[in-house]
Amino acid sequence: MSSNNIKNVKELVNSLWKWTVDRLERTTIVVFKFTVPKQYVSPFGYLGTLTAIVFAILGVSGAFLMFYYRPDVELAFLSVQEIQEKVPFGYIMRNIHYHASNLMVLLAVLHLYYQYFSGRYKIKNEVLWVTGVILGVLTVLEAYTGYNLIMNQRALLAVNIGMGLTYSAPLLGPTIAPIFLGGGLFDLIIRFYALHVFILPLIMLLLAVVHFPRALVIDFPIISAVVGVIFISAGLFPAELGIRFDLTRGVVEVPEWYLTAIYAFLRAGTERFTAGALLPLLFVILFLIVPFVDRSKKLSWRDRPFFTALGVASIALVAITTVWGFYVDFSKETAFDQLYIEPTLFYGLIGGVTLSSFYVTYFYLSRQKRGQRPPPTRPIVLSSRASAVLMTTLLILVAGAVAGTFYTYSINLPNHSMFYLGVAFILFGLLLHIYRHTISVEERQKGAK
Amino acid sequence: MPPRRLLLRGVLTAALVAVVSPFVHVIDFFYRREAEGVKRQKIANMRDLTPGGFIYFSYPQTGDPKIDNDPFRQFVLIMTEDGQLRVYSRVCVHLWCLPSYIQTRRQLICPCHGSIYREEDGVAIEGPAAYQSYPTNALPMGKIEVDGNGDIWMVGVDGRIGYGREWHNIKPDELVRRV
Ligand code: FES
Repeated sequence: MSSNNIKNVKELVNSLWKWTVDRLERTTIVVFKFTVPKQYVSPFGYLGTLTAIVFAILGVSGAFLMFYYRPDVELAFLSVQEIQEKVPFGYIMRNIHYHASNLMVLLAVLHLYYQYFSGRYKIKNEVLWVTGVILGVLTVLEAYTGYNLIMNQRALLAVNIGMGLTYSAPLLGPTIAPIFLGGGLFDLIIRFYALHVFILPLIMLLLAVVHFPRALVIDFPIISAVVGVIFISAGLFPAELGIRFDLTRGVVEVPEWYLTAIYAFLRAGTERFTAGALLPLLFVILFLIVPFVDRSKKLSWRDRPFFTALGVASIALVAITTVWGFYVDFSKETAFDQLYIEPTLFYGLIGGVTLSSFYVTYFYLSRQKRGQRPPPTRPIVLSSRASAVLMTTLLILVAGAVAGTFYTYSINLPNHSMFYLGVAFILFGLLLHIYRHTISVEERQKGAK
Repeated sequence: MPPRRLLLRGVLTAALVAVVSPFVHVIDFFYRREAEGVKRQKIANMRDLTPGGFIYFSYPQTGDPKIDNDPFRQFVLIMTEDGQLRVYSRVCVHLWCLPSYIQTRRQLICPCHGSIYREEDGVAIEGPAAYQSYPTNALPMGKIEVDGNGDIWMVGVDGRIGYGREWHNIKPDELVRRV
């Protein structure tokens, strides 16, 4: 191709792009301002966007899983087993979906707390904040309905607890529960399926439109790293199939980690509705009303000792109950005793830890004097040559990791394969970062001249 | 607002309410009424049972094995030593395993975590189900009718399957009717 031709093609592409962008002016998409940062910015500021990206990954992988999954009491488990064991790439598809779901819950929680401690629910952000809290609840419900679709022992445990607490809800409980249960498990699974693949995601999407701030940060190096994290965790903790639900066999099961806190309360003998709905609801309400209670103009966590202490106490409570929910005492003989949690010990300890973390934080913050901010660290500036060397090295490492991915996949070690791929994505993110760093340094130098 | 405008608004509102009102029935879509036990179904004849005897069956029966095999439709009909009839849901109120009737012990015993239910009223006396708070510590019961031919009919369920039964309110004998 002559250079003239290339120029023509370039012009064509450019004008096509311009044409499209012009037309997009008429759509809602222009409302969003996408920012692709030219240099590293802390991902804590845009954890929400990352959550949304993981949500998109879940949408895609979930849609593909629907090709094989059968929402049927008897076939559900078998179809997941088929995906996991027989369908080519099915193991990986399922692991992507599973680990992305865990990551989404995790990112959502981190996002919540970061925004909380930095006081972002103020400055006219109340609507963003409230929709965000609701989205967080829906995220957990989405994850819950999802893992129940496998119809293994763990799923049945969760369904049972969920139905039990819905039934025990005052007033409306007995009316609402049959809506999910239908005529039995054979109905329930299809209803959960409809909720999981359509109803809940649809509501989440609509809420997300309201929740998105107008400026969205799309940071490709970090996105690449996030994808890498999904694969690495899938490689390290491959999603398990569990044991098919069997109504004649007692198995000691523990729910997914974002529900073990509730499970701990149940195991300590707290009444179902209180443990499973009332306490979490109080928690959610606490977050919902925070912007309307905390009316001070101060944003930083240092200047708001009460609310910071409240946040720290809530983290302490969540952390201790989450860990406790996992703990099973296998030295005991029966399944019941293995799971039993001594209530006085439980309430005493969580009460103590929560209160003391509140007081320690509160008094520490209200006594301290504002010190000087540490001077900003000098950013590292790489020379063009150093970046070239670094990038080439990274390229070799990425290639190695990808080779490892292919090799382990070919010898049927899909979880090793996912681990390598995760490493490759993280290295790629680093490479991308160095690339943009170099470009911006070069541009700055050009500008200086 | 001028009265005429008010009238127009009122008419409009009334019309709107009228057109959407039929949708109150939408709520029915979400329930499977037949599963709530409104069906009258023959389950056995008195001749089929002797004291200590029992029959497993599914209710309400549809003829579709997938639905009929659903745990939430599994029941057991028991004739106690003194000739009383009892029907229990077989879904353990602990974690939904299927307890079996053990004739020699005259109890329903759950295979999963060992909850034990009395044959006379389905109340858990041992195991995790026994520790659950009222009313989630008793098996739901079937309402039955025995007619002149000795046919035993199941006509409904008392309690919520997989959840419990308010056994303080209705005594088991009240659930058996002779017609
Ligand atoms: S399910 Fe019956 S005792 Fe646990």
